[in-house]
Amino acid sequence: MTSTTHAPGVRIRDLTVVYRTPAGELPAVRGVDLELVPGTITGVVGESGSGKSTLALSLLNAVQPPGRIAAGAVEIDGLGDVLTLGGEDLRRTRGRQVGYVFQAAQNSLNPLKTIGKQLLDLGRSHDVADPRALVRDAKVLLARMGLDGGRVLDSYQHELSGGMRQRVGIMLALVLNAKVVVLDEPTTALDMITQATILRIIREVHEERELTTLVITHDVGAIAEVADGLAVMYGGRIVEHGPVRKVLATPRHPYTQGLIRAIPRLSGDISLARALPGRPPTLGTLPAQGCVFRERCERRLAVCDTDDPVVITRNGRSVACHAVERAAAVAMRKEYA
Amino acid sequence: MTQTTRGRPRIGAIARKVAGHVVRGLVMIWVVATISFFIIREIPGNPVLGQYESLIQKGMSPDQAERATAVLYGFLPTGSLWQQYLGYMGSLLHLDLGRSLSTPGVEVTTLIGSAARWTVLPVLAGTLLSFLLGVTMGVYAAIKRSGKLGDMLALSGSLLHGVPVYVIGLLLTAIFATLWPILPSGGPVDVEFTPGLNPGYVGSLLQHAVLPVVTYTLASYGGWILAMKSNVVAVLGDDFILAAELRGMTRGIVFRYLARNAILPLFTILALSIGMLFGGSIFIEEIFNYPGLGLLLVNSISSRDYALMGGTFLVITIGIVVANIVADLLYTVIDPRVRSGGAA
Repeated sequence: MTSTTHAPGVRIRDLTVVYRTPAGELPAVRGVDLELVPGTITGVVGESGSGKSTLALSLLNAVQPPGRIAAGAVEIDGLGDVLTLGGEDLRRTRGRQVGYVFQAAQNSLNPLKTIGKQLLDLGRSHDVADPRALVRDAKVLLARMGLDGGRVLDSYQHELSGGMRQRVGIMLALVLNAKVVVLDEPTTALDMITQATILRIIREVHEERELTTLVITHDVGAIAEVADGLAVMYGGRIVEHGPVRKVLATPRHPYTQGLIRAIPRLSGDISLARALPGRPPTLGTLPAQGCVFRERCERRLAVCDTDDPVVITRNGRSVACHAVERAAAVAMRKEYA
Repeated sequence: MTQTTRGRPRIGAIARKVAGHVVRGLVMIWVVATISFFIIREIPGNPVLGQYESLIQKGMSPDQAERATAVLYGFLPTGSLWQQYLGYMGSLLHLDLGRSLSTPGVEVTTLIGSAARWTVLPVLAGTLLSFLLGVTMGVYAAIKRSGKLGDMLALSGSLLHGVPVYVIGLLLTAIFATLWPILPSGGPVDVEFTPGLNPGYVGSLLQHAVLPVVTYTLASYGGWILAMKSNVVAVLGDDFILAAELRGMTRGIVFRYLARNAILPLFTILALSIGMLFGGSIFIEEIFNYPGLGLLLVNSISSRDYALMGGTFLVITIGIVVANIVADLLYTVIDPRVRSGGAA
């Protein structure tokens, strides 16, 4: 096995991904810095169109046309900058070093072949010397996730339920011992019970296999259950990043605060949940300069229209917001006064 | 966790399925044979009656005329339409299609058999060739769809799909038989060779088959390339192709996933067009003077040859019904989703 035995760290630096549109190239991800600490689960939340899936694909240098990675680097320990890889090197990295798990509702499996045959195709693609051992590993992984491995490998995609497909996706991402795993919306389109099972499996398998995991979702509740760190994306930027409990307990960015206020509680008055006003920006409506969230922000300042907010990092938490920055500065001045 | 239905094909299930198809096919053939029997006899202009009446007009006595007509055709229709129908069905069960009226005395099965030789092979060759060519080019047209090559291929498909087969046939004859005479313009084979497996005869056969086969290929190529291109583009957008790439599958394996999924719907069309070939290709046979099934059908209609018409209709019907059954069974073999009758 060529993979490292310890969880590798991943550093995304100044990543910009643009999409070619009739109106020119527009950024779906702009200047994103994000570090995945080795052995942790990092959650990325954001609305549709916030650029989170594009960010996930960037980790495998797999942004699909008309998208293009315009700038930045994705450094993975032991691999170097994935964005400089190409051809066979890139292909061998995918699946072997970095596993990718699709959304359950997406058919990530060839409908005409059994899971077992697709597993063998995967082995052949990565020059696995012993296919029997590969099948054995796959069965162990499936059994670990509560499935009958032999039966699942003999099945076609249409013979599996959504939750089973999702576990097959996780198996295929891990069976070659990838240490970095990206899960794109792993619980979307699953029922509540299956969601909880899948989240538990992600957490447990992550710990057992010492992985570095990135979970992309729009479901703040799901992230709260599995993630160590939480990054909030809006309009192609990471607006807030920090330990998941702290970010959820004391959100600083007005967008994060709005997101959390919008979650209806099981106990208490449903009318306490307040939806964020306005709509999330699309590629075309994204402002070219200034804060991307200002149109929906209740703490909008004059400077938000003209200057990009800078990411301020303090005590392991980072926020990109002019209003938060100003309040902090005022608080600091009072302290010294 | 929902229990999924398991769909391993069992011999018993397959036999039941085949039997069901065969019974339905036979019923279908009987219905079509019955309808065509009555419709054919409603066409104005009864040849036997016409002969009989013209003999009387020439001064024969009705008795003489009846005998002369019976000698000419070998029989005389007697009894009600209903009795004729029962007789027709009875002989159908013995695979007896009766005797031709326009070529008196010759068995319809003999006529169809000799015409089929000149239809089945060229049309089959043309169908398979255009299928292979169209499918291959369709994949390229889809993959290179944003480039010049893709545009050219798609354009060639649209153009050829739009041009009628007889225009293509006439153009090819004009070019390769008249302007630049390297190929024979018509007929199935040169008469100077003795039929059999000798180089001269086979060579002449092949030489004569080139233009009809190429015409047929070009005429149906457009449909295949356009269908395949749109299928490949659709499958390219499917998530499992991206998933296979993100799992680091080799290009060869991803391509096989793509091609197999894209070609699947075309197999039904292929099976059906092979079934249709028993109708012959009237235009091609007319242009290249091939005595095939298409010409036989046209001639039988114009000469009101009931038995021959009924026979050719029946052959076409059987061809299509059998092709349908084959297509259905083929699907259960190549598509696991059909096999288990499952959803999703």
